[in-house]
Amino acid sequence: MRRTIEKNLGNYNLEIIGTASNGSAALEIVREKKPDVITLDITMPEMDGITCLEGIMEIHPTAKVMIITALSDKLTGLKALDKGARGFMYKPVNGADLKKAFDKLLKKPD
Amino acid sequence: MDTKREDFETTCNLFIQALENYFKHLTDVSSEIGVPFIKESETLSLKNFTGLIGISGNRKGFVYISADKNMYADLINIFIGIDEPTTEDILDMAGEISNVIAGSVRANYGNNFNISVPIVFEGMPKQLKFPSEVAVFVIPMKWKGHEAFLVVGLE
Repeated sequence: MRRTIEKNLGNYNLEIIGTASNGSAALEIVREKKPDVITLDITMPEMDGITCLEGIMEIHPTAKVMIITALSDKLTGLKALDKGARGFMYKPVNGADLKKAFDKLLKKPD
Repeated sequence: MDTKREDFETTCNLFIQALENYFKHLTDVSSEIGVPFIKESETLSLKNFTGLIGISGNRKGFVYISADKNMYADLINIFIGIDEPTTEDILDMAGEISNVIAGSVRANYGNNFNISVPIVFEGMPKQLKFPSEVAVFVIPMKWKGHEAFLVVGLE
């Protein structure tokens, strides 16, 4: 999924400054590099995405966090938005879905 | 219709919808779903590469997808444009499909339908035991000529 996101975000003025395969590694990157935009899954090893999101918001509250997850229940989405996520996508996610969501997240006109 | 059969059909349909949606939405090529059956023998329905999700909470069990390398390689080619994926790429793909299918079904069972991170393996694992009280059913499928199995075991 991380590589699919990388491939489809080539048209945005974004530089990918790191990828992480678990929540602890993600928090390390956020602490060190303070990224403007973060994509985050909920189901991850070591730390779930909601706990990770809380950590991100403590370290870097202005980060625009987009949750991309397979967990398709509404409660998980609402919980993430409540914790500070700016967007939420349910997998399966294709290129068009990513474009629509990132246009909105980065407020790019159609 | 008896309750067991009704439950079997309802559960099958949820997983079939998730499977069909995955391939149609991401590749524009529909999958062909075979007739699901309850697995009665001890042998596992396995291809070479498998992604498995453990399920806990209000339903307990597992779901796995198993297919040969070429199916995952075709998907990787569509998603990220790599022609020769590594074994790690193939295993990641197997894990990703199982994650998305189990996660999609959660919409119907609620947020107490907990799914694990994917467990991925190549070939036949030495230690893979399924609980005997779990009804296991197999959904055979084909996508672009590649054969795969979605296997679901739920209490």
